[in-house]
Amino acid sequence: MRKPAALLLADGTRFDGEGIGYDALALGEAVFYTGMTGYEEALTDPSYAGQILTFTYPLVGNYGISGAASQHERACVAGAVMKRIAPHPSHHAMKIDLSSWLAEQRVPTLVGIDTRALVTVLREHGTIRAALAVGESALARIESALVPYARQTTTVGLVADVATRHVRNVAAGNGGPHVVVIDCGVKRAIVRDLSALGARLSVMPYAATREEILAREPDAIVISPGPGDPTDLPETIETLKGLLGDFPMFGVCLGHQLLALACGATTFKLPYGHRGGNQPVKDLQRGAVLVTAHNHGYAVDGATLPSELEATMVNLNDGTNEGFRHRSLPISAVQFHPEASPGPFDARYLFAEWLATLS
Amino acid sequence: MAGAVTVRTVPRRSVLVIGSGPIVIGQAAEFDYAGVQACRALREEGQRVILVNSNPATIMTDPEIADVVYLEPLTAASLDAIIARERPDALLPTLGGQTGLNLAVELHEAGTLERYGLELLGTPIETIKLAEDRAQFKEAMLRIGEPVPASAVVNDVESGVRFANELGYPLVVRPAYTLGGTGGGVVRSENELRHILAAGLGASLINQALVETSLLGWKEIEYEILRDRADNCIIVCNMENIDPVGVHTGDSIVVAPSQTLSDQEYQLLRSASLNVIRALNVQGGCNIQFALHPERTEYNIIEVNPRVSRSSALASKATGYPIAKISTKIALGKTLDEIENPVTGVTKAAYEPTLDYVVVKIPRWPFDKFPRADTRLGTQMKSTGEAMGIGRTFGAALVKAVRGLDLGRETLTGTSVALWNEDQLDDAITAPTHERLFALAESLRRGVPVAALAKASAIDPFWLNELGELVELEERLRAQPAGHDLRVAAELGYSQASIARLTDTNRNVSLWNQASHAEGEGQGAGRNAFRMVDTAAAEFPARSPYYYLSRYEQDEMRRPAREAIVVVGSGPIRIGQGIEFDYSCVRAAWALREAGRAAVVVNNNPETVSTDFDVSDVLVFEPPGPDEVQAAYDATGASGVLLAFGGQTAINLAAELTKRGVRIIGSDRKSVDMAEDRRKFDAALARLGVARPEGRAASSFRQARAIARELGFPVLVRPSYVLGGRGMEIVYNEGQLASYVETAPPITPGAPLLVDKYLRGLELEVDAVYDGQDVLVPGIFEHVERAGIHSGDSISVYPPQIIDALMQARIVEITRSIAHELQTRGSINIQFVLHEGELYIIEANPRASRTVPIISKVTGVNLVAAATRVALGEKLRDMPYGTGLTPATPFVVVKIPVFSFAKMHGVETILGPEMKSTGEVLGVDQTFAGALRKGFIAAGVRVPDTSVPGKRGRILVSISDQEKADAIAVLRRYAACGFALVATDGTHELLVENGIDSERINKISDGSPHVLDAIASRSVDLVINDAVGPRQLSDGYRIRRAAVEASVACLTSLDTAGALVEALESSAGPPRSLQEYRAAAQASQYYGVAR
Repeated sequence: MRKPAALLLADGTRFDGEGIGYDALALGEAVFYTGMTGYEEALTDPSYAGQILTFTYPLVGNYGISGAASQHERACVAGAVMKRIAPHPSHHAMKIDLSSWLAEQRVPTLVGIDTRALVTVLREHGTIRAALAVGESALARIESALVPYARQTTTVGLVADVATRHVRNVAAGNGGPHVVVIDCGVKRAIVRDLSALGARLSVMPYAATREEILAREPDAIVISPGPGDPTDLPETIETLKGLLGDFPMFGVCLGHQLLALACGATTFKLPYGHRGGNQPVKDLQRGAVLVTAHNHGYAVDGATLPSELEATMVNLNDGTNEGFRHRSLPISAVQFHPEASPGPFDARYLFAEWLATLS
Repeated sequence: MAGAVTVRTVPRRSVLVIGSGPIVIGQAAEFDYAGVQACRALREEGQRVILVNSNPATIMTDPEIADVVYLEPLTAASLDAIIARERPDALLPTLGGQTGLNLAVELHEAGTLERYGLELLGTPIETIKLAEDRAQFKEAMLRIGEPVPASAVVNDVESGVRFANELGYPLVVRPAYTLGGTGGGVVRSENELRHILAAGLGASLINQALVETSLLGWKEIEYEILRDRADNCIIVCNMENIDPVGVHTGDSIVVAPSQTLSDQEYQLLRSASLNVIRALNVQGGCNIQFALHPERTEYNIIEVNPRVSRSSALASKATGYPIAKISTKIALGKTLDEIENPVTGVTKAAYEPTLDYVVVKIPRWPFDKFPRADTRLGTQMKSTGEAMGIGRTFGAALVKAVRGLDLGRETLTGTSVALWNEDQLDDAITAPTHERLFALAESLRRGVPVAALAKASAIDPFWLNELGELVELEERLRAQPAGHDLRVAAELGYSQASIARLTDTNRNVSLWNQASHAEGEGQGAGRNAFRMVDTAAAEFPARSPYYYLSRYEQDEMRRPAREAIVVVGSGPIRIGQGIEFDYSCVRAAWALREAGRAAVVVNNNPETVSTDFDVSDVLVFEPPGPDEVQAAYDATGASGVLLAFGGQTAINLAAELTKRGVRIIGSDRKSVDMAEDRRKFDAALARLGVARPEGRAASSFRQARAIARELGFPVLVRPSYVLGGRGMEIVYNEGQLASYVETAPPITPGAPLLVDKYLRGLELEVDAVYDGQDVLVPGIFEHVERAGIHSGDSISVYPPQIIDALMQARIVEITRSIAHELQTRGSINIQFVLHEGELYIIEANPRASRTVPIISKVTGVNLVAAATRVALGEKLRDMPYGTGLTPATPFVVVKIPVFSFAKMHGVETILGPEMKSTGEVLGVDQTFAGALRKGFIAAGVRVPDTSVPGKRGRILVSISDQEKADAIAVLRRYAACGFALVATDGTHELLVENGIDSERINKISDGSPHVLDAIASRSVDLVINDAVGPRQLSDGYRIRRAAVEASVACLTSLDTAGALVEALESSAGPPRSLQEYRAAAQASQYYGVAR
């Protein structure tokens, strides 16, 4: 059943369309994803927590939801905006259609709007706070709800919402290295890729202390991606500082930013973020270009990398830092997602290479 | 980032570029588009470009595009001679289609590349050979772990049969080294296998074919990839064929990007693409075709093309990413991160475009002209062109592509297919034909469930459901449309006219307006919003985007600062309206820009130069229909519309656009009407005292017969609406007239049959520009074949070889007076016939024609620019092109048509008033005979070297009674050249009586071995089967078709045979560039040298 729905941006721009499934009012940052496939992965990507996600590709839901592609046990976005949802999806792996799944997952969704017009606003204005209302009663509250939300800090607490609360052990085969994953909102694909490469994983809450981590006696540490501003996690940064030099460490996305902060660099908020599967990144050591999957609103300021950190990767579109390594310690990090899901697998080899250095 | 990338400069060298030659099915305008981008990219990098292409209708052979242009045959011998003269440093072979690749391989094998130290740019020769050699390719794929279908590479039919006995049927036959799947096909029985494999082996350059297990019914997915020398790879685009494996991708409805693939599948095939392109060491563009199982995660690699292709042209236009341009820069050694993305200006070429719209391509087939052709689609391509639609939804893109085919179909239902019975629908759905889309729509309309159609067609239910939504909307519009339905129809790209037809109302405009008012149309979200194609889904601002219409969305059109003029394009390439009109549109756009105006192009053909992003100031990628032209005109604030360059498609808009208040510049509606309305045209000619073949319009068969009796047979008959001579025929007696009327469209007073006296004389053609005062005639063409063969199918010669200066002056004078009488302002094309000393007018069209590109290149008179400037109000006297008849060149050019009969099963090859050729070549030489010789060679006729004594080969001759007297003279010349003549009874006796040696051969009815066996075994080298007279559906037809199947040249006119023997008797001069010819022409004019 379709009902009235709208997206209201903090600058007053409003898009009226139809709502899908679940009557609710969602508050979040309005951002856009440029991938043409991978909506299931994106909607369940913990890094989108607290965000109202717009799909630039106009036809979403063509192949339904398989469950197998999900990156988290539930949808993580605050709300979703699409031009059109396929009314008759078709795929052999489909378990449920997207509209029904969004209702089931309680994701307020707006369809039928001019998404390109919205993306143009976001590009020009930058990421902006927004309210998405589905149903008459939510629509009546849309303005009164957005005003106070737009004034407050919005990213605190996002990681806590999607990250694991308890240590999870992921067994692997024949005595590979034991890797602690500091979970700030890890994707299933990272766990899948690392364990497929033979690593034994302990997925630990982002707030785990140095002692708790040491108690696990890991061989190495991976700091996961996750939502929001890395400076919202000062304790995690402190923990990482304490661990520098103790273990080989590898950071991905938010993990890259946290490691950079722990080493003394600074981060900043990108005008409208990188979210999609077509970001060209130059590997400065190999001289090769990788097409990579991105999902981040903040970036490491490459100019602030301390002398012991060396930039290894740079974004060819806007020149932002995409990776670094420590000159003397076994520490490296990338801003993009080697695990893809959604997106291309050009950088998948990084996990394997890093694991190889452990043995 | 400047810090990340060091941009290197490329050293200046001279680079030889091989074009793809004449337009044939499977190799068309896409290579002009790619070639032009390549040449421009090379020059951008400071290279000296030497271009060889025999196709004169292309933009790439204009002297502005390359430093040196050779309009010479594309053969290894001809290229060898050019290389010897020009000594280029490098060769770029990957932009001239299969022709370019095959020639590069030939030159390599012949040692030419090595002898002259030519570096091969881009993809190495080993890769080209590997991708083409079926056996090596299969082995290479298996080595890198990529799955390919089980197959056997065979060099003879028996091995194929043995393999088939192991694997069972169906199987696919794929000959190596052919284009557009020539000679291939799906076979379901041993009989079919024997037949198709024999033909396929014959078509293969290396007598090799692959027989493979069929993946019929799997999804067909294509990836367009680029790789540079540093091993950086990007995917430009992927595409999904709605027609599953089994239909050639050129004949499939193709959607970009894929719609039914999950991200895992998309990335699986992406990773496989990279794996393949790396293993093959491709440097530049590459196309990979996959079959993806519809029910499980399993794929096979079907084919790899390590070059730019029709698919890469489509991918470029679908995404905005100029593949040919970037490929060229890669070939020069640049890497993707060094090259900028010219559409955004801010990103790099190392970037994978992302779309926020859907693209649908539908092929345009020539079956409307060939009712007897086999219309079933398979692995051998049959379409001549394609139309592309861009929309924010699949439905909108599909509707635009359907409308853009220019078949008079504006909707999915309610077409002629609606009259079919269930069996007919089922047939077209299970054994696909060009009507499958419409048969599916009609079946859905009749309530056939999607599941049943999916099962019958193997088409994914996703597409059928989407199609079903359009069908339901059309049905609602027919029944009780709500205001919302009208709005949805407008969003989906239906035209005003089609919505009016569906809603069966004359109040179309008011309904249309009502709909928009009802939906609260605002200023920002207009009914005619233009959206950008920007490669980036709006993530980055775009510098040189192009546009499509998306109604009721936000308008992004950037109104040009300068006065805008709209150039209306000609839509998909079809027989009768080909690349030459695209040439004129491009030259018009450039002329407008030179004249300080902003050029706005409206066209929907993804293959062409006119839809390249930087040809115009504003490109509107939409079907050139009245709604779209008007919208472009309004949105750009244009001051006028030029229709004269987009062929009949554009001209046909004159009345409607005038009604809507759109200003047409140049010749306007009145002028078009006067030329097309027979009564008005006759009256105009009468006023001028100019004759035309006597004739009248008949509104019944009786009347037609009476007129024919009065005029005397033979007569030329045709329906009153004509494009490319469609439905036109010469009939010699009443019986033929009756059978013509039976098969032609019904005669009514509203659509009469035109009956003209047929005058068999010398046909002449001029292209001219008239400004109201002066006329400019750059040249007069003489046709080699006497009147009766469509001008597009006849060999034509410039400068005239037969008519004298006096007659030429008379032609110029008549041209001027007709142009004046028709109120022409700009281009006019007039065809004459000279019959017993008297000059008659056949027809006049106030537009550019097929010969415009040729005469412009050859004489150096930029005819399109002159016509454009006249339309803008300038006078010829103020331009540098002169007035009156341009002095003749001291060299001769001969245009020879090229046919694609091998791709059109069942089609009668006799030439007549209905055009059948798909392309053309130009022979250029000092002498007429030399130009003929080069032209025939360029057209692919095997011309033996007559300077060496010895036997030339055998010619199978069969001559009709009417032509016997003329035939003897021609055949005697063949015999004198050393050819052995072979003939059946009648002709054999005629030859013997006239003292010409002849070998008798059995007619078909005499039993084997007969003529067909001789042709099939290629024991004859040429067939002359003169076809004047009654339509021969029996022996003559079978002989001509057999010749086509066996790739033996077959001439159906004695005039053509006469021209060929003239070419055989002579030799041609060495290759010379167009620039050299032009310089010689200028010198001769300067010194007043008489020809």
